[in-house]
Amino acid sequence: MSFEMWAEKYRPKQLSDMVDQKTIVERLKSFVKSKNVPHCIFAGPPGTGKTTAALCLTRDLYGDGYREHLMELNASDERGINVVRETVKTFARSRSIGEIPFKILILDEADNMTSDAQQALRRTMERYTETCRFIMCANYSGKIIEPIQSRCAPFRFTFLPREEHDNHIKHIAERENIQLLPDGAEAIFEVCGGDLRRAINTLQAAASMNKPVDAKLVYSVTGKASPHDVQKMLTTAINGDFLGARKQLRDMIQKYGVAGIDIIRQIHTEIFRAEIPEPWKIKLAAITGEIDYRLVEGADEEVQLSALLARLVEAGGEINKAN
Amino acid sequence: MYTAWTVKHKPKSAAEIIGNPSAIKTLSDWLDSWNKGTPKKRAAFLYGPPGVGKTVTVEALAHDLHMELVEKNASDYRTEDAINRFAGLASQYASLFGGKRIVLLDELDGLMGNADKGGVKAITNIAKTARCPVVLIANNAYDPRFRTLRSYCLLIEFKKPHSSSVAKHLTRICEREGIQADENALKFIAQRSGGDVRSAVNDLQALAQGKKRLTYDDVSWLAYRDRQESIFNVLKMIIYGRTSYGAKQAVDMADVDIDMLFEWIYENAPAHLTDPHDLAQAMDALSMADVYRGRIRASQDWSFMRYVIDYMTAGVAMARQNSKVHGWIPFKFPSRIMMLSRSKAERALRLRIGLKIKRKCHISAARASKEVLPYLRIIFKNDVHMAAGIAKWLDLDAEMVEYIVGNKAKAETITAFLH
Repeated sequence: MSFEMWAEKYRPKQLSDMVDQKTIVERLKSFVKSKNVPHCIFAGPPGTGKTTAALCLTRDLYGDGYREHLMELNASDERGINVVRETVKTFARSRSIGEIPFKILILDEADNMTSDAQQALRRTMERYTETCRFIMCANYSGKIIEPIQSRCAPFRFTFLPREEHDNHIKHIAERENIQLLPDGAEAIFEVCGGDLRRAINTLQAAASMNKPVDAKLVYSVTGKASPHDVQKMLTTAINGDFLGARKQLRDMIQKYGVAGIDIIRQIHTEIFRAEIPEPWKIKLAAITGEIDYRLVEGADEEVQLSALLARLVEAGGEINKAN
Repeated sequence: MYTAWTVKHKPKSAAEIIGNPSAIKTLSDWLDSWNKGTPKKRAAFLYGPPGVGKTVTVEALAHDLHMELVEKNASDYRTEDAINRFAGLASQYASLFGGKRIVLLDELDGLMGNADKGGVKAITNIAKTARCPVVLIANNAYDPRFRTLRSYCLLIEFKKPHSSSVAKHLTRICEREGIQADENALKFIAQRSGGDVRSAVNDLQALAQGKKRLTYDDVSWLAYRDRQESIFNVLKMIIYGRTSYGAKQAVDMADVDIDMLFEWIYENAPAHLTDPHDLAQAMDALSMADVYRGRIRASQDWSFMRYVIDYMTAGVAMARQNSKVHGWIPFKFPSRIMMLSRSKAERALRLRIGLKIKRKCHISAARASKEVLPYLRIIFKNDVHMAAGIAKWLDLDAEMVEYIVGNKAKAETITAFLH
């Protein structure tokens, strides 16, 4: 039995396997050629290949024994200053054996680090540049402090365009003997919006149903993957039942572990489909954007989203008044 | 709409009232004496701390003695004119109807300063000339404003009932409501109330309404509160605050930390803001308070706390423009906190699965449990072979498999494939 998560199975191993983010990959290849890597920031939305690029770069640099020269840390799990002081420092200062004098430290989800930890990191980066190069992956480079940004070469990753996305998905479907219909691929793109990790997970989950993968199946899978109904919650709010809507929100977050960022994206889509007066739609979109930004700043998901729900209650009240 | 238990379970007869037997007897005897002609003191002045049963006693005695009760709240009848009108209606012509009538003026403490100038004088007049029993009620009869008034009144003091009597009262309510309550839970509420029966009943309702059973654990969190000021009062000061300053003051009286107070406000403010615009304003204020909490976390600069407090107190208080609240809405313990502690074990398990995914998938455990787990759930439910393969690849144990698939039998078929 050799099943694994396809997102891992089909993760490119070398830079030459990476078919997208072309300009970035070209520059990274030139680093490999010169056997020198600056500190880097890989910024961009999830599922666009940041971690993959960092891993491929490391593998290309060191060959098969690359694990010995690499440390992967995830700032979401280890975000405190102590990790920087101890783990990072210990790794960064010890000298690498071999042709290349430095090691690589991949710091994933670096925008989740506290600014204290980032300050500490800045000194470590400076002091041990000779022995260690940092690659910081982040959704938002804006959340990384200026001094670190100025020490790093920035790389901006973007969502995969439709065509490249489809190529990936079709390739995997072929290799796994899955019947993927054209509208199925289209539906995956629509739902995942170019986030390749999500797209592949969606494909695999759809494949587990043992049926040809068409749009209907994809929608039923993504519906189940987020066993919540944002639309229903919005209707509850627009009908004036704030407490009911907040309860649904709470269940989504606490019981099903749905990410606030996913909920807000769906709300944003739904607003323009909802039956509310046209002028309110753009108003609510503006508020959604503001709340989205507050979430990015690291605020509490339920509190922020319920502030948005309260606005929907308000919009609903206006509609009733108008009628 | 809620019916307050303080109303629903109000004693109907004086025999049901807890505490203050001698005060009740004195008042009862005095009311009785009106049957033998006008007594020397035409007014009785009941005083004592809040919630000990002053008003209830008058109401119950009126019921027992078959007298009609004309009841007014002094703070609604503040000026001399208004009180005189009321006095004319209620006491001067009372004898025409046989004198079987009590005039009750409640909450005399509500009369204040210059605005109510003449109010006390008018009441004193009533006490002097009344032709039916007049009962006055205040917390503090020895307020200098009442000096003249006092000399025309029969003074009756009400004291705090013992906590065991309060507990007995709570037991009776639970029986009527069909709630099975632990004795020590009720004792705890009674002791906390410090003899204020009304607040004890309110607390009981807030804690027990809708439940079949009330345990000590359900009430023990009350220990956090009211060393200085009960959290309910703090919430009232914030959610119904009229001034920014007053609302901000409330923080100092709260006996919980800022984060916990935030949860209390976040839980309770919406139910008290009926106007959608007010609600949206209040929630926006809480959202901003939360943003500043995030900034404190990110910068570790605690001086930002002042803005958290501004938004969560004054911001919420000032949101109230058009909301009207009809009826009594109890304050509730933050349900988010309860839910969090309940799902603690589940979250721990989810995190352990997240860590397993992290080892293989280059993604944080937190994000793995949010972004990968839902897909695993679908796969595990639909494809046993693929599930077993992935379980092996991720090195999941039986408990994890069962959690993911959410079904014991199915989990066993999956794990059977592993061996």
